[in-house]
Amino acid sequence: MTDRTVQVENLVVGYGGRPVLTDISLHINSNEVLCLIGHNGAGKSTLLKAIFGLVPHEGGRILFNGKPAVTEPRAMTMAGMSMVPEGRGVFPGMTVEETMSLGMWAAGVPEKARPERIEWVMSILPMMKKFYRTRAGDLSGGQQQMVSIGRALLSRPRCLLMDEPSIGLAPKLFQDLCGPIRELQQKTGMSILLVEQNVKEALKISDRVVVMKSGRMTWEGQPSELSDNKKLMELY
Amino acid sequence: MLFLQLLANGLQVGAIYALTAAGFSLIFGSTKIFHFAHGATFAIAAYLFHFALAGLGLHWTFAVAVAALSAVVFGVLLDRLMYAPIQRHEGSFFTVFVASFGIGIVVQNLLGSVFGRGFMSVSTPLSNSIEVMPGLYLSPLNGLAVVVAIVCFVALHFFMTHTFIGKGLRALSENPELVRTFGLSPRRLSTYAFALGSLLVVPGAIFTAAGTGINPAVGHHVMLISLAATIVGGIGSLRGAACAGLLIGVAENLAMWKLGTQWSEAITFAILFFFIIFKPSGFFGRATVS
Repeated sequence: MTDRTVQVENLVVGYGGRPVLTDISLHINSNEVLCLIGHNGAGKSTLLKAIFGLVPHEGGRILFNGKPAVTEPRAMTMAGMSMVPEGRGVFPGMTVEETMSLGMWAAGVPEKARPERIEWVMSILPMMKKFYRTRAGDLSGGQQQMVSIGRALLSRPRCLLMDEPSIGLAPKLFQDLCGPIRELQQKTGMSILLVEQNVKEALKISDRVVVMKSGRMTWEGQPSELSDNKKLMELY
Repeated sequence: MLFLQLLANGLQVGAIYALTAAGFSLIFGSTKIFHFAHGATFAIAAYLFHFALAGLGLHWTFAVAVAALSAVVFGVLLDRLMYAPIQRHEGSFFTVFVASFGIGIVVQNLLGSVFGRGFMSVSTPLSNSIEVMPGLYLSPLNGLAVVVAIVCFVALHFFMTHTFIGKGLRALSENPELVRTFGLSPRRLSTYAFALGSLLVVPGAIFTAAGTGINPAVGHHVMLISLAATIVGGIGSLRGAACAGLLIGVAENLAMWKLGTQWSEAITFAILFFFIIFKPSGFFGRATVS
């Protein structure tokens, strides 16, 4: 049996009595990039937030590393999960350096390990060195996204959740970001759950794809199968 | 000489307002809780300092410790026992305001019942004024209040920029949802904001108790000034609250010079209205579009 990092079983999420996710069951294997695609309102971002504990679930359960997870962001962070949120995951009034130090404190990185951890992130995203002491609010969209990803990597997570990392980025910049992340993922065996509108680029770095529609899973398979499925490709 | 006298008094009062306003601004900026009972924290700290020093005869350092502890405990308990449940049930801004206002009234009446409704002050060697120039009377408290305020603001700036809790509070003021995504607890940070914000009223409470004196309504007055200073300084800006507190303190005193004592409080609100009309974002606030 494959080592499953995250297992979602019969998950139900609703906002104010309105169902948003209905009976979702999926898993993410270790050393795998699972891509979630679907139109706006399909429930992709909500699923990510529910896994990380940002929104409560009404039914079903989530296992992380084989154990039932306390789906609360702090507990999930400490257990080895990290999330790159949709939009710009930075605080505009804080410098990149401050953001990173806050991220390490939040993730419980031991004080002695912090300089080495920063160096490690810089080795993955070397561009960050150029604007390390700049206020995040003064950075471009791509640079802010880089900081957001760098911050999420600081805890060396076993599972990384990424919500629409390409929004507002030039395609070339997104490709430049994906390369080192994929490389890192393959090197460390980290799992990645990627929600992405840019299906073409997302499929290039994914091992498996799940298609969602109206809060339900409608298709699951290999990226090549999806690429061959003209009807689905036209839709997404 | 009257001008210099009023200016000196204004600087002392302004230093007290600046610290109190910074405390309110810190709490409101980080948690978005309209902590009207911040004035009650001021009154409790002032009365317990007075009680510890004059009533129990404790050494002034212990009296300061009693005032500081009581302020922090009161602020944190309010956050945990009143604001947290309201927020958990997604209570509105108005619910929080009314609850906080109610606590302020209850505390004012409790203090009045226990300590009496008249003015009280503690006389210390530092309270005695000496004539430094003909017609200019200064007490060591005048200078001490300004020095303590400067030390507190330097320490606060260091805390907010160099400690994880300080950075966490700044982050909370910008984006609470993102704070959760980082893996931090906004609730825990909120408690830190209340502890620190409440602690900032203590110097002002002590200087007021040892200077001009206190009555049960002192918190109410200080709260109104803090609120005005927070708006004039720019909501959520500690630097702005400090500058505005100082400005209001000096303006309040200088108003007596040309306009008469009855104008001293009105000038605060004249400044407030001026800013609301001509610069609604305040000294250091950022204009927002909703």
